[in-house]
Amino acid sequence: MMTTLAWSNVRTNPAAYAATFTTILLAVTLVGSSGLLIAGVSDGGELEAVGALVGTSAVISAFVSVFVVSGMLSLHVMRQRRAWGLLRSVGLTPRQVRLLVTVEALVVAAAASAVGCALAVPYAHGVAAVLRRVGFAPTDIPVAITPVPFIVASAVGMVATLAASRIAARKAVRSGPLEVLRDSAAEQRILPWPRALVGTAALAGGVVLLDLASRQTEGGGAMEIILGAVMALCVAASALGTVVVRALGYLLAAPVAWLDPAAGMLARASLATQPRRAASVASPVMLTVALMGTFVFAAATTQTAAGQATMEVGEWIAPALVGSTALYTVISVLNATAMSMSARAQELRLLRSVGIGPAQLTRALVWESLITVAVGALLGTAIAAAGLLTLGRVLTGRLWFDYSAPQYLGLLAVCTAAGLIGALVSTRKARRGPLVG
Amino acid sequence: MIMNDPDDYAVHLQDVSRTYGKGPTEVAALRHVTVGFPRGSFTAVMGPSGSGKSTLLQCASGLDRPQTGSVRIAGRDITRLREKELAELRRDHVGVVFQSFNLVPSLTAAQNTVLPTRLARRRPDPARVRDLLQRVGLAGRERHRPAQLSGGQQQRVAIARALLSRPEVLFADEPTGALDRGTGHEVLALLREAADTYGQTVVMVTHDPEAATYADGVLFLTDGRIVDSLRRPSVDQIAARLGGSR
Ligand SMILES: Nc1ncnc2c1ncn2[C@@H]1O[C@H](COP(=O)(O)OP(=O)(O)OP(=O)(O)O)[C@@H](O)[C@H]1O
Ligand SMILES: [Mg+2]
Repeated sequence: MMTTLAWSNVRTNPAAYAATFTTILLAVTLVGSSGLLIAGVSDGGELEAVGALVGTSAVISAFVSVFVVSGMLSLHVMRQRRAWGLLRSVGLTPRQVRLLVTVEALVVAAAASAVGCALAVPYAHGVAAVLRRVGFAPTDIPVAITPVPFIVASAVGMVATLAASRIAARKAVRSGPLEVLRDSAAEQRILPWPRALVGTAALAGGVVLLDLASRQTEGGGAMEIILGAVMALCVAASALGTVVVRALGYLLAAPVAWLDPAAGMLARASLATQPRRAASVASPVMLTVALMGTFVFAAATTQTAAGQATMEVGEWIAPALVGSTALYTVISVLNATAMSMSARAQELRLLRSVGIGPAQLTRALVWESLITVAVGALLGTAIAAAGLLTLGRVLTGRLWFDYSAPQYLGLLAVCTAAGLIGALVSTRKARRGPLVG
Repeated sequence: MIMNDPDDYAVHLQDVSRTYGKGPTEVAALRHVTVGFPRGSFTAVMGPSGSGKSTLLQCASGLDRPQTGSVRIAGRDITRLREKELAELRRDHVGVVFQSFNLVPSLTAAQNTVLPTRLARRRPDPARVRDLLQRVGLAGRERHRPAQLSGGQQQRVAIARALLSRPEVLFADEPTGALDRGTGHEVLALLREAADTYGQTVVMVTHDPEAATYADGVLFLTDGRIVDSLRRPSVDQIAARLGGSR
């Protein structure tokens, strides 16, 4: 019975499961390949120097993986709540629903981990080759196949998936079947206290770390603490995201509603009533901008502070190493938008049946995605700027940092494109397909 | 009244067939249906569950494309229209009330009511919106979201929306199915008024013989075919007719 239910869930919702599956798979690949590289550099004498950087990038990829997987799972759970409400209303006990959720998550995570581990090996070879090619590693980093990286990567994948789905499912299961069926879309409490607590703690942690970093005397040590601070601030912004998204989204939507009244009103209403959905999409954008912004411009800031004209390999390779993480977060922007939009097929068909035109509907979705991406980008920029200002202060004693406008705009463009593609591709059928049948 | 030209009707279906699925799961929901709804008339569509009533409404309102046949609304063959023209038709000339899921979840009752007007870049008349919502029994509920309304209340918002811009044709799928007698009568009176006062053409699916007596005529559907029709019927006549078709 349980397997039938689980299977029918997957079948009626293939896009959502595919998105979750890829998210976990890529996370495991990322963490696994980082682990393989660490194992590779740790036993070669002349590679020892590379170790610190590879280590840092492994920590970041692990953090990003857990962050993105949990965000994805919470979107997934939001999508599935209706199905669970229905199951509750036909007599499934909360225990049974929890079991169903756990089994589903386990199956998806196990399959994704297996494939992810398999892909980690060629991926690690690829990264090793790039590092050698750009002259970062003096010799080829040997990719030794040892069990530990695979175990760690699978554990990260499985634990993150299970924990996130259980936490996210808890509320859905606890609230009565009726509440869920009545489309708890009307989210009553936008900031439940556990979230508020985690968010405040992370915010405080981030501020303390920034303060600690500003008292360092040399850039290297400060940079590691700053990275910690940036991660803490990302967690804070994500936890408190609903409130921020609602406020910022409202502000940003005002001019849109004035420019394009009908489409703007729809975008605005959707952001205001579904801040959690919007926050789940803004969150990976924020992560991408915060991390990449910090990395890329930390290198530039260090350079300018040291008065160097040319870049030294060690400085620009850091972004190269983090590149795979960035790629992952960008893919997750796409995934998150696609997932949140694909849940709205019924709503889009209703809009069409009361006469929204094809271009008008596309505009409404584009506005909504743009505003959401803009909120994420603003948050990410603020976090990166806080980290970079601290670094600049350590290096030069002034509140200052160096950046390149084209690179920054490029970063925003990539996030925007990912958000728009995700939103438009996932709604194609609902926007253009038949309204009935 | 004898009408031979399909353009004399507000809505005219000619030899319309609609099947769902393919192969062994194929269901013929409508089989070669030809029917016209005269301008300003109020027609009830009745028949057993699964007989194709909702499908008839969807095909007649341009929400669905039949496999064969043609559908004309206001003299235009809508099976040939492009998506943009269809959207304008739905927005300006047709009002629909579905059996379920009628409202955009993120919009309030009032916002849902004025949605087609807003989509057409027109200014809704606030007094009329308030009056309509009051007449469907939703005074004071203007700012509620669909999740805060009962199923019947949601459907009444959809009725207000369908009436607001006085579209030429109004399709309602069991608009009184979820309502108590009093509220149901108010809704039926509104539909009657739409036909009498504003010359709108109303097509309503219903299972309730009493509701059907508000209409000028009743069509009976069985197994995807129109099997009978009555003009100005009494409750007893309808009940007898329904009893016989079972
Ligand atoms: N989307 C669909 N896919 C497959 N079959 C469908 C679909 N919609 C309707 N049908 C089938 O077409 C037939 C007619 O359905 P329709 O919804 O028109 O019935 P109805 O007369 O409105 O019934 P009810 O009174 O229960 O609302 C039914 O046999 C139904 O199973
Ligand atoms: Mg029906």
